Amino acid sequence: MPRARSAPLAGCLVILASSAAALAAFAQGPAVPDLSGTWARMTFGLEPPSSGPGPIANLTRTREGRSDGNQLVGDYNDPILKPAAAAEVKRQGEISKTGTAFQDPANQCAPQGPPWILRQQEIRLMQERDQVTILYMLDGHVRRIRLNSTHPANVKPSWTGDSIGRYEGDTLVVDTIGMKVGPVTMSDNFGSPQSEAMHVVERYRVIDYADAKAAFDANEKDFGRVDTANGNGVFIDFDYRGKGLQLEFIVDDPNVFTAKWGAKVTYLKAGGIWSEQVCAENTREYYDDIDTKIPAAERPDF
Amino acid sequence: MTNLKNYSWLALALGTSLLASPGSAATTPHMPDFGGYWGRNSTDFEPPLSGPGPVTNKGKSFYARFGDDTNPILKPEAAARIREASKATVEGVNFPTPSNQCTPWTPPYMWRALMVQVLQQKDQITITTVGDQQVRRVRLNAAHPKTVTPTWSGDSVGHYEGDTLVIDTVGVKYGTNSMIDNYGTPYSEGLHVVERIRLVDAETARKAAERSEALNGRIEVIAGGASIDPEARKGLRIEFTVEDPKYFTTPWSAAVTFRPALGVVEERVCAENMHDYNSGADVPVPRADKPDF
Repeated sequence: MPRARSAPLAGCLVILASSAAALAAFAQGPAVPDLSGTWARMTFGLEPPSSGPGPIANLTRTREGRSDGNQLVGDYNDPILKPAAAAEVKRQGEISKTGTAFQDPANQCAPQGPPWILRQQEIRLMQERDQVTILYMLDGHVRRIRLNSTHPANVKPSWTGDSIGRYEGDTLVVDTIGMKVGPVTMSDNFGSPQSEAMHVVERYRVIDYADAKAAFDANEKDFGRVDTANGNGVFIDFDYRGKGLQLEFIVDDPNVFTAKWGAKVTYLKAGGIWSEQVCAENTREYYDDIDTKIPAAERPDF
Repeated sequence: MTNLKNYSWLALALGTSLLASPGSAATTPHMPDFGGYWGRNSTDFEPPLSGPGPVTNKGKSFYARFGDDTNPILKPEAAARIREASKATVEGVNFPTPSNQCTPWTPPYMWRALMVQVLQQKDQITITTVGDQQVRRVRLNAAHPKTVTPTWSGDSVGHYEGDTLVIDTVGVKYGTNSMIDNYGTPYSEGLHVVERIRLVDAETARKAAERSEALNGRIEVIAGGASIDPEARKGLRIEFTVEDPKYFTTPWSAAVTFRPALGVVEERVCAENMHDYNSGADVPVPRADKPDF
């Protein structure tokens, strides 16, 4: 099993390791783009990729033509879906049409892994010499990406999978395999399934404010803002005119999809204090706008 | 008491002076490097060499938790809560804790972790515990809000004092399973914790780790303890002071000492682990006779 820290890289960076000032230089130096920070967006929707097949769309639209977040009926006719996957998306859509949310990792407080977790609205990306750590606001999920490392020959499946990364110019490239599949595991907002063959490649880079804001606005136009203003625990510094962060990822799972598909997620700089959001403490059903019932036994089990 | 108040004042003063130029304290030239994964083989707090210290284990083993209710730091109600928790141990079961109930770990309880990661950035320190992915965020050179909404992690602000990172935490939520330590010691939302984190040399770290293991038993690697790098040249020491006038007669101090850990960090999801380490059996899961809805 490889060590958490990459020995070859540590060798190359032994000089940098000698002081914290050097660590700061690492984060800001020309060889490594500075992607660190807290980044946020206002929807859970995915943006179209630069090219090629994209994520499946919601068949249910609002009067304004947006994806209806309260009825997630994925386009089960999308040719990207293999027959069994299409049937699963259709089944989940039928549940959603009844006005009840189908079970997903978020509403069941289950561990989230890629690609599903990439829907989250607020992330904090932290770069170190040998590792990148990404925190996700909802339920405090943590992903650890080993830099300049390799996947083990035999990956033990875990919910977040085995992630390795490297820098390609201005871009952080993350390659993830070994995601565990559980009862509510899915690869997108519409219940597309995934298998343990799932392979996700993410590419993160900073982009100019104008480009980030245009992508952000287009995404909000497609999906509607989850909250009408800064809220939902997500805060964006709308006065900030600096760079944005853009993720473009490719999903490859031949057991589920007929081809690879891609999507983008664009973030602006987050503002405010990161909220502590413990999934199990939130019993709100946003579909029905009521608190969900909690199972109660008539007598103790033990 | 005096020390704690000094820290609060300092945090506030630093926050006030630096908030106008966020990032100006981005890199202090003496900022120590706390990077990497840090592990240990005990979940207990080390008592200070002198002065008021944490509740210790009369059971002398991780698996037999009998908190010393005669510790003079305890007000009567706190001592009673420890006795209540110890009763369960006598009966051979675990009393509910944040760890075995999969509820959030609050400071200073979170320092029971067997493995931690400290991420340093210019405006924030992030501390993650490897078990169940608990995350704490510490805003650097900031002040506590005037009105703090209690959260499980509390509101933490920090600053560097030379080679030491000082963290001041208030606003820690108190829930059904909340406790200060492994022995059911309670706290109130008046809890105030000041942590001082610094690097120590390998020998100091080894001695502190061995002292802690001698006091409370060693948790072997096979039981979830960390695999310590034998070639490590440093350790990470966290000394902290706890103040909560509702339950404690005086502020008290304790420490935990970590050493560099080896191996791949495994994903551990609390709710997936049903094992009761006290009895050696898997915990039964509640089952209903019929669905509730």
